[in-house]
Amino acid sequence: MVIDAHNISKIYQPDTVPVYAVNNVHLHIEKGEFTALVGPSGSGKTTLLNIIGGLDQPTSGQVLINGTDLSTLSPNALIDFRLHNIGFVFQSYNLLPVLSAGENIEFIMLLQKIPASERATRVRELLQAVGLEDKKDARPAQLSGGQQQRVAVARALASKPQIILADEPTANLDGQSAANLLDIMEKLNREAHITFLFSTHDKRVIDRARRVITLVDGSVASDTAAVRTE
Amino acid sequence: MLFLISWRNLWRYPARSFLIMGSVVLGVWAGLFTNAIYFGMGESRKTIAIRHEVSHIQVHHRKFQDDKEAQFSLSVDSLEQAFRAYPEIAAYSLRTVGSAMVANASGSRGITLNGIDPAREQATRPLKDFLVAGDYLDTALAHRVYLSTRLAERMNLEVGNKVVLTMLDTANNIVAGAFRICGLFKSANAPFDEQNAYLLKHELDALLGTTGRAHEAAMMLQDEQAIGKVCAGLNASLPDALAEDWTVISPETALVLQSLDQFAIVFILIILLALAFGIVNTMLMAVLERSREIRMLQAIGMNRTRLFFMVLFETVFLTIAGLLPGLLLAWLSVAWMGRTGLDLSRVAGDLMRSFGYGAVIYPYLPARTVVQTVVLVFITALLSAIFPALRAIKLRQNPPA
Repeated sequence: MVIDAHNISKIYQPDTVPVYAVNNVHLHIEKGEFTALVGPSGSGKTTLLNIIGGLDQPTSGQVLINGTDLSTLSPNALIDFRLHNIGFVFQSYNLLPVLSAGENIEFIMLLQKIPASERATRVRELLQAVGLEDKKDARPAQLSGGQQQRVAVARALASKPQIILADEPTANLDGQSAANLLDIMEKLNREAHITFLFSTHDKRVIDRARRVITLVDGSVASDTAAVRTE
Repeated sequence: MLFLISWRNLWRYPARSFLIMGSVVLGVWAGLFTNAIYFGMGESRKTIAIRHEVSHIQVHHRKFQDDKEAQFSLSVDSLEQAFRAYPEIAAYSLRTVGSAMVANASGSRGITLNGIDPAREQATRPLKDFLVAGDYLDTALAHRVYLSTRLAERMNLEVGNKVVLTMLDTANNIVAGAFRICGLFKSANAPFDEQNAYLLKHELDALLGTTGRAHEAAMMLQDEQAIGKVCAGLNASLPDALAEDWTVISPETALVLQSLDQFAIVFILIILLALAFGIVNTMLMAVLERSREIRMLQAIGMNRTRLFFMVLFETVFLTIAGLLPGLLLAWLSVAWMGRTGLDLSRVAGDLMRSFGYGAVIYPYLPARTVVQTVVLVFITALLSAIFPALRAIKLRQNPPA
């Protein structure tokens, strides 16, 4: 088991008019899953994803990633845990604009203190994996949205994580770019057994997910495998 | 890569970065250049004090400086014999000195009379170079007195006028003599000029009863570094005498020079304090504008320490990028003006003279002042970085999508 979330709740303004962003959610994600968290805006998808990734603290409940309880980690230990175990892909790519595509990917490995020769090889491999080997020296401003998101995926993979959390990764992409991106992610899921957990309301992603968890008003409304339309 | 990210971040908003760098350039240049002017003024004062007034060393009878009584004098022979033992002495002059009243029909004033050998006096006090009217003292012409233009203005005197000089001799009897003004002089120190008048030594000796004796020996050395050694040696070999260096004879000059270093630091600190506010403001803006990016960096695994240092390096680079051109500008302007001089004679010549400074200032910067400035700029950069860096690491970790 990779992700184990028990009784997760996130309550805003608990002393006045409490707002339940996430309401008593239980979640078990196995290794190698390709799972989508779906629901309307305000259903708590992003909040739950942030809690699972350690970017936010639940009001109550517990999140274990490979047996490690995130609530027991200090702030620096949590950052270090994320660095080595979790990759993030954001809706707005969030690449460092002052670094090239290659440098954005290399940056993660520098944080992990990986030697220079290994970094160079891995950057090349990751850019090849996302089909951008000729864009190594391009700055984000010189790349299309789809290309930037592929660099973001490569960056997320740089730390060799077991889990990739992707928050609306296709929201700013056109159809072809979104399809290319999902192809890459599916391939990585299949070949490297990386667990993917998406927060999305993009049908293109939902159609590709093998498991769909629906949130409504912060609670799990349904949890079922998606039937892919051929 | 932290260095790389920090350096490149500076150039995301070039206009803002150039503004801060420009202010650092101007601040560093203004601080150093102003300090160079003050150091130049200090050097000018020291040069004038030594070369025109008190020389490197003066020797007096041990009791002479108390009340400047004529009876406390030293043998000329013993002085000259003692001086021969020191090749470090480049030149010396022997003076008869007495407090006197100078009087004419307009009034009277207290002055110090200096009986000199006109030719030898040039080496320690170049009075002939200060001549503005009439002639310098001439051993062939008797009963002549050489006054400053300032004293002459005060007493409504001209070249050729007669004055009466009254003083106490070695037996404390009042003695007087009538002297004609042979010439008027004007040096770089107006108050000093006003206080001193000059006549031939043997004529003053005749009035005071000090023939073969001197009240004051002033000497210039080959090298300033030998002052301590020569003073100590003369004090040992002349038991009745007291040899003192210029810092003792002219303590106000020494004080000015001592205070220059502290003044330089304080002045730079004030400028840097003002700059620090601008740097803190700019960096704080940069951090808050990039709050989303900073939160993303934390999300993907950049710990707080690295984040802190990223902001710190950015601030230091911003400041250093202004420091280097500022230093270069200061060096160029000081080097140029150090050769040509800053001529204040038309705007503040008399004012400068009234404090004993030359009208032309040659700015110069001691190396220690430049090093102090560099260190202070670094410290300012580091301190300015703390608040924005702390702000950065306190940002919440969860980034917006």
